[in-house]
Amino acid sequence: MPENAPYMVAAYIITAAILLAYAVLLYRRTLKP
Amino acid sequence: MRLLKTGRWITVVGLALLAGVYVRALAFTPVERLQGVAQKIFYLHVPAAVWAETGMVLVGVASVFYLFLRDPRLDHFAAASAEVGLIFGTIVLTTGPIWGKPIWGTWWTWDARLTLTLLLFLMYVGYLLLRGAVTDPGLRARYSAVLGISGMCLVPFVHLSVYMFRTLHPQPIVLKPSAPSLPGEMLVTFLFSFLVFTVLYVGFVTQRYALALLREQGEPHA
Repeated sequence: MPENAPYMVAAYIITAAILLAYAVLLYRRTLKP
Repeated sequence: MRLLKTGRWITVVGLALLAGVYVRALAFTPVERLQGVAQKIFYLHVPAAVWAETGMVLVGVASVFYLFLRDPRLDHFAAASAEVGLIFGTIVLTTGPIWGKPIWGTWWTWDARLTLTLLLFLMYVGYLLLRGAVTDPGLRARYSAVLGISGMCLVPFVHLSVYMFRTLHPQPIVLKPSAPSLPGEMLVTFLFSFLVFTVLYVGFVTQRYALALLREQGEPHA
């Protein structure tokens, strides 16, 4: 495993987490009556 | 509401395509010789940066038109673009330091590009805080339009800072007057990722805009 792979993995996980969290947040906000 | 459903579908498509970007970037794009796999952060960092900057330009453009036309839909669009721009700005300011640590040896440095990007992020935060603080819709739209136009004026300095100052941050690889200095396979991955971030921006903004319209009309949201 290349030396700086953990940095890449962290960046990819954080990006996915931010985008998914915002998508879920928007979905929940638009569900409210 | 039809617009809300359209926004949801665009977002779902964007998230599905994002998985495709991950697969292509990690498994089917060559590893850069000097930086190693950390360079693959480029495929997320740069498209997010482009939309963080473009989002603020669109806030500014909508704000200029709002001040002339006084159409609340322009104000709703500006608010939507600011919220989504903040999300992309957050991605830029997290992936950037994560990339910088293995390559530069530091998480952060007060170089012009980084500092101005932080300022752009703070402009987004200030814009949204201002909107939350003013209750009168007309005043809120007018005050925030002025701040939105100020934010738009910041964007050229963010983009051109790598030319105007001696910075640690590299100069543009793709968005520059000459041809992109990126091998074909990497360029295709970048363009695919940029397309997906564009779809996500459109999906998020459509939903957020529809939400603002529904709130204004006092209708049930779903």
